[in-house]
Amino acid sequence: MTDPDILIVGGGLHGLSAALHLARAGRRVRVLEARQVGAEASGYSAGGVRTLGRHPAEVPLALAAIERWPAIADLVGDDCGFRSVGQVRVAENDAEFTLLAERVEGLRAAGWTHEELVDAQAVRQLLPAVAPHVVGGLVARRDGFASPLRTTRAFGRAAVAAGAEVIEGARVAAMDRRAGLWRLRTHGGETHAAPLLLNAAGAWGGRIARAAGEEIPLGFNAFQMLLTEALPPLLTPVVGAAGRPLSFKQSETGHVMIGGGHKGRADLDSGEIRLDVPRLAYSARTALDLFPALHGARIVHAWAGIEGVTPDDLPVIGRSAVAAGLVHAFGFSGHGFALAPVVGAIVAGLLLDGPETHALAAFAPARSQLCGPAAETRPALLQPAG
Amino acid sequence: MTAIPRIVIVGGGPAGRAALAALPGAILIARPDATAWHAEPGRLWVEGGGRVWAEPFGALLVCADEPLLLAALGCAIRDGRVMADATGRTGVPGISVAGRIAGATTPEAAERQATAAARALADGTPGREPRPDPPAETPAALRLDPVALAALLEQPASLARDGAALAQRAILGAMVPARPVGLAALAGLVAAMPEPIPPQTDTGVLA
Repeated sequence: MTDPDILIVGGGLHGLSAALHLARAGRRVRVLEARQVGAEASGYSAGGVRTLGRHPAEVPLALAAIERWPAIADLVGDDCGFRSVGQVRVAENDAEFTLLAERVEGLRAAGWTHEELVDAQAVRQLLPAVAPHVVGGLVARRDGFASPLRTTRAFGRAAVAAGAEVIEGARVAAMDRRAGLWRLRTHGGETHAAPLLLNAAGAWGGRIARAAGEEIPLGFNAFQMLLTEALPPLLTPVVGAAGRPLSFKQSETGHVMIGGGHKGRADLDSGEIRLDVPRLAYSARTALDLFPALHGARIVHAWAGIEGVTPDDLPVIGRSAVAAGLVHAFGFSGHGFALAPVVGAIVAGLLLDGPETHALAAFAPARSQLCGPAAETRPALLQPAG
Repeated sequence: MTAIPRIVIVGGGPAGRAALAALPGAILIARPDATAWHAEPGRLWVEGGGRVWAEPFGALLVCADEPLLLAALGCAIRDGRVMADATGRTGVPGISVAGRIAGATTPEAAERQATAAARALADGTPGREPRPDPPAETPAALRLDPVALAALLEQPASLARDGAALAQRAILGAMVPARPVGLAALAGLVAAMPEPIPPQTDTGVLA
């Protein structure tokens, strides 16, 4: 490829989605990925495609994204394993049910009807194996799940087919901007230059921003997941809990995935992760409490991926407040997977100086300096990772 | 003489029994009563009798075919064998091996290895310079997604299965658990929701 118009740091789902949209817009795009495509959060996500329980600022993005998922094959040539099986958030007591009812009321007042309050009987129709103490729940019937690594690879293939270049093993070691060009040097000693730069470096996004002279608060977590052995059919929708972290679903192969937010420890420099067994155990306890039929199941795999998290749990999406030609899209805080089809289009638009198609003020890189945290700093519901 | 650390032996075959005979104060973890399903520095995770517990160790002598368990501790494995010196010490301080996993081909050889490894631990004989070996296995050509990896790991242990899992380990890091663990037994480890871990902070820079 001749010199690119746009460099993208990060070969995860958001970087590759942006690469796809930019390449299809006729731009020369080069993606620099430190390891392999989908090596971090994008490949380790639980794959939840969810509008349910979103922070109000994210709801418009999630609703726009859910419109695109059923036809994702038209975008990337692969259905990405997307299954529109619905998502259910169960309440385990009356207080939680009241919280869910208030949530729905608030959404209705804002004009959103995608979340539906249902009673215990309706929950049991959706989830025949659910524990008897469940008193009701919320349902988003168009939600579902997809296969994270397959999805990331599909976006990567589609981006390359559209003309983008993806370089794996290209860890950025230094960067600066001179004479209107971003110049990025990798550990391998190569230098890449382009007038425009997208920071889609996930948990490492804060370092890229810092190197550009912009301090954006970003921490990181190692969200843990468990998989059981293949089991007979137990449930169809994806299940979460109103009062404790849970993301729970059964794949078509019968393996039951249990995740949702309990964390291990990670080292951002080495990439090493250490699982926290007691917290894995609590995820197993939550799943067992809600689905007693799991009593005889065995766990065959556990893992964690490193994900960037912001203080307000909202992603950073927008133009740099201090540097020309720089757009950020990172810090999705464990729930960015579903948004990728639309976020890629949004950041492509920002890089190409197109009109702002969504309200992005809540995601602005400088929001912590300009106006403090988002007005509603806690989502109404727990945000399960994935 | 160096104080003897708390020693845990994994494996109830000829090597494990010989090791226990040479180390009478050691803790023996042997199937089917107790299964070591995960290990981390200084702590072995065990399932038995319908519960899960942590077995702390100062030294661990693995006398069973548990390559994934040893890989979780950072031991280098090549062609199904753990790389170790003549007294069974691996490149990871405090971790020793004996038996088939260390290349023994007969029960007698396994016993001899175990006895030598146990004596070295009891004597506090220094091993080779403590240094983690680099992973010796060849990385897989393609990373498996978690569900595909689960399908691999639920297969019965075999040289082929372990080889495929270790090739994934070369890309992904340790395979956890090294053996399947009962969900209910694991769930019984904690009664209440642990305090949330706050996000880890990062003030790092590109380098």
